[in-house]
Amino acid sequence: MECNLAVSLMHDYLDDDLSKEQQMELKAHLLSCPACRMQFKELEQTDMLMFSLSHHAPSAPLELTQRIMSALPQEKKQQPWLGWIRRHPAVTAAAIFLIVMFISSVSFWDQDSQLVVKGNDLDQVVIEGDTVIVPEGKSIAGNLTVENGKTKIYGEVNGNLTVIDGSLYQASTAHISGKVKNIDQALDWLWYKITNAFSDVAYR
Amino acid sequence: MDNIENRLTKLALKGDQRAFAEIVELYKDKIYHLAYRMLSNRHEAEDIVQETFLRVYRNLDRYDQNQKFSTWIYRIATNLCIDRLRKKKPTYSLDAEMNDQEGMDGYSMIPSDNRTPESEALLSETQQIIYQAIDSLPAKYKSVMILRYLQDLSLQEISDVLGMPVTTIKTRVHRGREFLRKKLEPKM
Ligand SMILES: [Zn+2]
Repeated sequence: MECNLAVSLMHDYLDDDLSKEQQMELKAHLLSCPACRMQFKELEQTDMLMFSLSHHAPSAPLELTQRIMSALPQEKKQQPWLGWIRRHPAVTAAAIFLIVMFISSVSFWDQDSQLVVKGNDLDQVVIEGDTVIVPEGKSIAGNLTVENGKTKIYGEVNGNLTVIDGSLYQASTAHISGKVKNIDQALDWLWYKITNAFSDVAYR
Repeated sequence: MDNIENRLTKLALKGDQRAFAEIVELYKDKIYHLAYRMLSNRHEAEDIVQETFLRVYRNLDRYDQNQKFSTWIYRIATNLCIDRLRKKKPTYSLDAEMNDQEGMDGYSMIPSDNRTPESEALLSETQQIIYQAIDSLPAKYKSVMILRYLQDLSLQEISDVLGMPVTTIKTRVHRGREFLRKKLEPKM
């Protein structure tokens, strides 16, 4: 057997795509050819090293699911459970507390409650501590998103305003041309975690 | 697996956000690993994961239930990575690699009892060399090798993901393997 063919068979072997007969032929060549034997050993080790990498795959950041879910286009109506929770805060709190006791692995999304301000036109925005202010007479072009802070609008927002985990104050002079949304991630995230744990069980 | 995915995609298509969140949970780590090795950069990998699921969500109505869901999502993610690689400037990729060394912890492979300073150093060094070798593969080999080894796809599955004949995939695996062997040779 020529060495070229032997190398080709080595790869087929590593692809798990070599007949018993050809395996015997390859083996015979390897026994008689030290150079190919060396190459085969190296290829086999490369193969093993490469496969070993799959065992320590880095995990995606925990909050990535939440980020993905909140970035989805939201044409759907609000889930009914959110309304229920708002109407029955005490019962819900008690229930959630109990459920959290059961699910010890619940990871909270709010470990870093850092102020995040997103928008195209942030020059016009004044930030004081955790308070984000759109002053009177100023006008913001495009959407504005504030996370983990207090938002006070005295001027204009020519786009959507989204407040995540924070308070919103709109002065009488405020004008927001788009939609105003106030999101409480704690509820969404917790609900997601809880239902996810249940349906996991259901699928098994 | 496929049954769960089909059921979840049907629910998600009806507007069930929780079903979609489960799809995300099932695949986000795999896609993240794929993208992280393709681009050698955490932030870009996160972007790819997010963009992949956004596309999956937008195109759920076009998903063909006869096709494996994993094939479909890998195709979307791999194409996004290849696009991103094309746009990357070489200097940028070098910077990203330099900033991302902390991702190359190698010694988790050895059980903690057997860890000695030598084995830690040796393994993490070998592993850094593999990661660098993967990173230096041209994109068309890189995607094939990552799908084959890090995601453990069969040659047939890779051919479905990339829409290329199995023979082409085979050739690329062989060349990719030779390329990596030569890079790793001094370590063996
Ligand atoms: Zn030979």
